[in-house]
Amino acid sequence: MAQAVQKLVAKVPTLVGAAVNYSKPRLATFWYYARVELVPPTPAEIPKAISGFQDLLKGFQSGRLGQTTVRDALRNGLVATEVLMWFYIGEIIGKRGLIGYDV
Amino acid sequence: MVPPVQVSPLIKTARWSALIVGIIYGKFRYDNLKPIAEEERRIEEEEKKVREEKERIAKQLAEAIVEINLEVSCPK
Repeated sequence: MAQAVQKLVAKVPTLVGAAVNYSKPRLATFWYYARVELVPPTPAEIPKAISGFQDLLKGFQSGRLGQTTVRDALRNGLVATEVLMWFYIGEIIGKRGLIGYDV
Repeated sequence: MVPPVQVSPLIKTARWSALIVGIIYGKFRYDNLKPIAEEERRIEEEEKKVREEKERIAKQLAEAIVEINLEVSCPK
C-alpha cells in the first residue's frame, strides 16, 4: 500500500508535465481566437452597438425582418441563444455555486 | 488556421452586459433567499422539538398501558 502510494507520488511530476505539454498548444489556439472574439467591447464600440440595436428595431418596424430566410433566422436564433446563455453563466458566478443556491 | 471572426459590437455588448446582469441577478437572488431558508430551518427545528416531545409522551403512555395490562392479566 505504501509502495503503491510512493510510486504514484513519484509519477505526479511526469503527469503534470504531460498535461502541460498537451494543453499548451490548445490553450494557444483558444487564446488566439478569444483575444479577438471574446473580448469585451471597447468604449468606442458601444455607440456602434446602440446604432446596431436601433437598426434592428427599425428593421422590425418596417417589416424587413419578415423577409429573412429560414437559414438566417436559424443562425440569428443560435446567436441570440448564446447571448442568453451568458446571463446564466453570470448567474452561476453571482450565486457562487454551480447548481442551485447554497442557502 | 481559420482567422478569427470580427464579432459585431452589438453582439459583444449584448454578451457582456448579459454576463454582468446575470452576476448582479444571482447575487441579489442569493441574498434574498438566504434569510428565507434560515427562517424555514428555524421553524423546522422548533416543530421537530415539539413533535419529538409528543412522541416521547406517547411512548411513555404506551409503555405504562402495557405494564398495567400485564399486571391485570397475570397478577403476582
